[in-house]
Amino acid sequence: MNNAEDRLSEIIARYRSDPVSLIAVLQDIQSEFRYLPPAALRRVSSELAVPLSRVMSLATFYRAFSLKPQGRRGIHVCLGTACHVRGGPLVLEKFERELGIKAGETTADGEFSLNAVRCVGCCGLAPVATIGEDVHGKISQTKVAGLVKKYKG
Amino acid sequence: MVQLTIDGKPVEVEEGATILQAAKKAGVAIPTLCYHPLIEPYAACRVCEVEVAFRGKRDLQTSCNTKAQAGMEIWTDSERVLETRRLNVEMLLARAPAAEPLREIAKDLGVETTRFPVKDPNEKCILCGLCVRACEQIVGASAISFVDRGSERRVSTPFGEESEACIGCTACAHFCPTGAITVEDKSGRQVIHDEMFLGPATAIRVPIRQAVPMIPFIDKSACIHFKTGECKVCAKVCDRAAVNFEQEDEVKEVEVGSIILASGFKTFDPRRIPAYGYGRYPNILTAMEFERMVNASGPTGGKVLKTDGASPQSVGIIHCVGSRDENYHPYCSRVCCMYSLKFAHLLKEKTGAAIYDFYIDMRCFGKGYEEFYHRLLEEGTKFVRGRVSEISTLALTDKEEGKLVIRVEDTLLGVVRRIPVDMAILAVGLEPDADHNHVAKTFNISCSQDTFFLERHPKLAPSSSFTDGVFLAGTCQGPKDIPDTVAQAGAAAAEALALADLGKVELEPTTAVIDEELCSACRICVGLCPFTAITVDSEKGAAVVNDALCKGCGTCVAACPSGASYQRHFRDEQIFAEIEGIFLV
Amino acid sequence: MPKLTIEALEDIRQKARGAPAGGKGRPARAVVNVHLGTCGSAAGARAVMDVLKAELDRRSLSDVLLTSSGCAGLCSQEPMATVEIAGQAPVKYANLTEAKIKAILEKHIVGGTVLAEYALGSGYEKTGGRPALNVRPGPESPAELLPSVPRLDEVPFFKKQVLIALRNRGLIDPASIDDYIARDGYKAAIMALTAMTPAAIIKEIALSGLRGRGGAGFPTGIKWDLVRNAAGGNGGPKYLVCNGDEGDPGAFMDRSILESDPHSVIEGMIVGAKAIGTATGFVYIRNEYPLAVEAVNRAIGQARDYGLLGRDILGTGFDFDLQVKRGAGAFVCGEETALLASIEGRLGEPRPRPPYPAQSGLWGQPTCINNVETWANVPAIITRGAKWFAGIGTETSKGTKVFSLVGKINNTGLVEVPMGITLREIVYDIGGGIPGGKAFKAVQTGGPSGGCIPNGKIDLPIDYESLTEAGSMMGSGGMVVMDEDTCMVDVARYFLSFTQDESCGKCTPCREGTKAMLDILTGITEGKGTPDDLVLLEDLARDIKDTALCGLGKTAPNPVLTTLRYFRGEYEAHILEKRCPAHVCRALNVYTIDPRLCLDKGRGCDVCRRNCASDAISGRKNEAHAIDQAKCIKCGVCADVCNFDAVRVE
Repeated sequence: MNNAEDRLSEIIARYRSDPVSLIAVLQDIQSEFRYLPPAALRRVSSELAVPLSRVMSLATFYRAFSLKPQGRRGIHVCLGTACHVRGGPLVLEKFERELGIKAGETTADGEFSLNAVRCVGCCGLAPVATIGEDVHGKISQTKVAGLVKKYKG
Repeated sequence: MVQLTIDGKPVEVEEGATILQAAKKAGVAIPTLCYHPLIEPYAACRVCEVEVAFRGKRDLQTSCNTKAQAGMEIWTDSERVLETRRLNVEMLLARAPAAEPLREIAKDLGVETTRFPVKDPNEKCILCGLCVRACEQIVGASAISFVDRGSERRVSTPFGEESEACIGCTACAHFCPTGAITVEDKSGRQVIHDEMFLGPATAIRVPIRQAVPMIPFIDKSACIHFKTGECKVCAKVCDRAAVNFEQEDEVKEVEVGSIILASGFKTFDPRRIPAYGYGRYPNILTAMEFERMVNASGPTGGKVLKTDGASPQSVGIIHCVGSRDENYHPYCSRVCCMYSLKFAHLLKEKTGAAIYDFYIDMRCFGKGYEEFYHRLLEEGTKFVRGRVSEISTLALTDKEEGKLVIRVEDTLLGVVRRIPVDMAILAVGLEPDADHNHVAKTFNISCSQDTFFLERHPKLAPSSSFTDGVFLAGTCQGPKDIPDTVAQAGAAAAEALALADLGKVELEPTTAVIDEELCSACRICVGLCPFTAITVDSEKGAAVVNDALCKGCGTCVAACPSGASYQRHFRDEQIFAEIEGIFLV
Repeated sequence: MPKLTIEALEDIRQKARGAPAGGKGRPARAVVNVHLGTCGSAAGARAVMDVLKAELDRRSLSDVLLTSSGCAGLCSQEPMATVEIAGQAPVKYANLTEAKIKAILEKHIVGGTVLAEYALGSGYEKTGGRPALNVRPGPESPAELLPSVPRLDEVPFFKKQVLIALRNRGLIDPASIDDYIARDGYKAAIMALTAMTPAAIIKEIALSGLRGRGGAGFPTGIKWDLVRNAAGGNGGPKYLVCNGDEGDPGAFMDRSILESDPHSVIEGMIVGAKAIGTATGFVYIRNEYPLAVEAVNRAIGQARDYGLLGRDILGTGFDFDLQVKRGAGAFVCGEETALLASIEGRLGEPRPRPPYPAQSGLWGQPTCINNVETWANVPAIITRGAKWFAGIGTETSKGTKVFSLVGKINNTGLVEVPMGITLREIVYDIGGGIPGGKAFKAVQTGGPSGGCIPNGKIDLPIDYESLTEAGSMMGSGGMVVMDEDTCMVDVARYFLSFTQDESCGKCTPCREGTKAMLDILTGITEGKGTPDDLVLLEDLARDIKDTALCGLGKTAPNPVLTTLRYFRGEYEAHILEKRCPAHVCRALNVYTIDPRLCLDKGRGCDVCRRNCASDAISGRKNEAHAIDQAKCIKCGVCADVCNFDAVRVE
């Protein structure tokens, strides 16, 4: 992989420095770097000719963005309505205990980030959690430890 | 035009006007927080809600952005309006309990306290977004924005650091209705006193109160529009559409018969005397700064304040700063004694502080001046005769702690004294303006030893210069006070008028003349002429003499290598003929 | 690929018709269609697919075509697959495992015998009266169906459903435009572009009575007419937007449509583009739906290749193109003005209306926004006629509505039902009732903007007006069923925490008010509530409803208002008796272990102690266990893991 500067240039070039694509550019940076590095935000601001203050307000408004590095695997515990009534919060708490972090944090080894999300649209399988790209349905507190172990190993 | 009723009163407003504007026209007050007439309505605070009945529907609308429409019936103080307004204000109070305008609105609505948890009792920001919108829409800088969302929302610069986009216009603080944004002077200088010395706070102003014509101008270096292309607030509020951003400075050529020079002076910069600590210690002011401070329209509203906002308990006034001093200016600036006495008087009146006046000689030369000095003596001003050697903050005793210590040899007592004061005012002297030499050269005027313009004769022609038709008035000729300046200016004006009245100028009979046939436009004469009377006419390809300026000194005649220049009535042939004649007799 | 003419497109259609559904136009002896929606994948459909593939390769069964389609609707019985032997009715199998699919391969695909014990049903779902939309639905007569397996449209879950928006459910491969074309796809687009004037299209849509399926139910025909007649600022362009920012928790029909049938939305938008007169459209898709983004992008690419998007569509001289915009994780962007701001790359902050987007939308130009389900309905209305559509539903609400039936219900999944159906029919007939024989308590509809409809209103016929009347709303169609174990105060608190978290923070009532309401509700669920709280809650709710800036804010108090209206007793139990009747509010619960059950039934299995989060449980294997109340943090894990119901919650 090229260095960070080149990767950033590539992303910005993808959208031809179009300010209308600001959100898309930030999304690509987020998925590339797993967060929005301050230097990248400054460059986006200058190359897309969008004031840095506006870039910052977007970066802090939308939940898809993070100003802190996220873990290699994102664990998203769904707290949609169906998941809530079927015990989603309990699952989230169990993940918190299992990983030793709170929702919104990343483990010290940078492996996992734990986040609560509002509905991943798999309500039929509630409660649901996604780990990386995988969706896990009908999970309960008892399954959590096993899941964490599986992805660690 | 659109007709509607507000609280039962019929109102007629222009098409496109908002309910808020209509209410204003009807004389009905509606409280607002996030609204400012110069900025697009945002409809966020929800305090200006009114009840609107229109087309069979009756609901609450924000008056700041809802357009008035024909047939609307509006209530601004129905129970439903007041109830929701009270609750919204009560919720805002929990966020920003220290926001004064909010508290006032709350008080008017009968909301005393808030039932919701208060996070920070000192918070002033109500998240109205006026600062963000002003910075974006008016200033065009977008240096600040909202960050985060929901109840975490707040206003911030990027990363909470000093913003590179900020142009320091302070518009955000200006538009902030609650004083939540304070402007900090980062250069480490005195805040009140510097702001004061920075001069007028606005970029659009009249140069001085007595300016003629009395027309404001835009200071491009301070104007936001000339930095970002936005703003134009002045044009928006000027209902005579008189603001013109295209106007440029222009150089005008005016043909005149005579000129009166009144180019004034500047004050001595006390930084040149390091021992006086000006610019290093707080609360040391120049006379001009103090003058601005005691002005009722000044930054402190006429109050005498120290940098910490308190009134001084003791003030020292130091005379002859830069004047009567071999190291700087040996001359007496003539005005300092009297303005210092005025300051002492004002200080006594405004603060009741102990006033120390350090002087070398008290020069109260004018009419009534000596009497004023005696009045000051009676008022209890402490006069100390002696030149101040140093002002410092070095405290040797408890009494001197936190004070400015003025060290002076009291020549009447014959001892060296240390006098601690809260504030020191430097009676700075007068000196020629910075472009003084340039002006002198332009008008062909000489300067005296003190570098002020030299008059033709100190007694017989005090307002004339050595150049005919150029007169002197005021301090450009030497330090003088206002009565003297006015007197001299009157004399200069009279002399100029006398010339104009005559309608003609008597020329020297023996001016120089250039023979165009012989002149090769070599320009030797142009540089030599002490009266700048010779120019080269490029069309003719020859030098031309201005008869009004030529004094007939003959320098050009002697210098002309081709013999093209000659003196009227004194041509070589004429002189030779005269000589021949003498010999014939 | 060369751009198609209309004739060439019809050609593709004709060829594909003869082949089995999902066959991509290729002839095959048998087709196995694995339903690979997000739900299906999560339930293990991908493993089923892999096993099938390996087995088919191993047996070199080249005359069996393995394909996939999107969501089959019945989430609770995923993974599912459909097997169709040429000339026979297709059979849908449910609850598949690797073993089961191997058996099906062996017996049904190879052997030709239907495995009735694994089968859910055979044949097709109903698609709104006449079978015309079922281009090749195969044998319609019962005689041709397989006697050992019930007809699919007689299976309780499917029986009362009528598919219009979901008409291609389980039948097409979302990655194949030919599959879509085979099922009358792009027929409406051709009609609109060649045979209809914009006025005629708008009239048709208006006559059909179609109303926005995103929540508020604004008549679509009127909206199009407004945009058509809006003077574009400086004669500038108009825009078309598909709102796929399906943010309501508990609703996923839009995701399902975008993932499983993206062309239906694209086609709807082509029709809309012709109607309002625009060449540019955007599909705004929620960030949480990466598969939908992928599916729509792929579909747009295919449509462009076929000349169905871009310049001079099918040689008709009409230009229209689409672009996908991804959301970035903000519920408020489902609100149309916030969504438009987000498309423009700005902060997703609602602005006051008027002006409505129809007057001044994207970049100040007239903009038509409809949600995914609305767009998916459009082609069906154009091909089958407004009269047909208007014949379904009630007086004010025409057609069908897709609901996502989830929560405490046996058959979870997507259901598309005619407007006017009663809640009882949905919960008991389609949903199969409440699991575990628990009592039905309420249905939450409309997401955070909606409310809870209690048992007493179970015979409510569902349409826009009746739901609003009951204090809820149609919303995007989430339907979360709650049983006796659901605490309504907790549900209200949940929704407030949602709206509070998702509030953009612009206006005071939403920013400060939802926070205040959440604080009060949290207090109540923790046993700190006072009777005054209910008064303040109601005051706040009224205030927010009256004065919030956008629709989301205005409706945020609905969950609290409806639960207060129908379940005030539960609030009072929390406040006055410090008790949660449903044992959900954990701060009010006391967990104890029944020593007899623990020992007699479970033999002191020790599972609870090992899982206890705070080491509060004492006991050893073969001993009765006990909870130290001083140490218990009330996480509830013991009750969750105990297999013998020995943990009592009071």
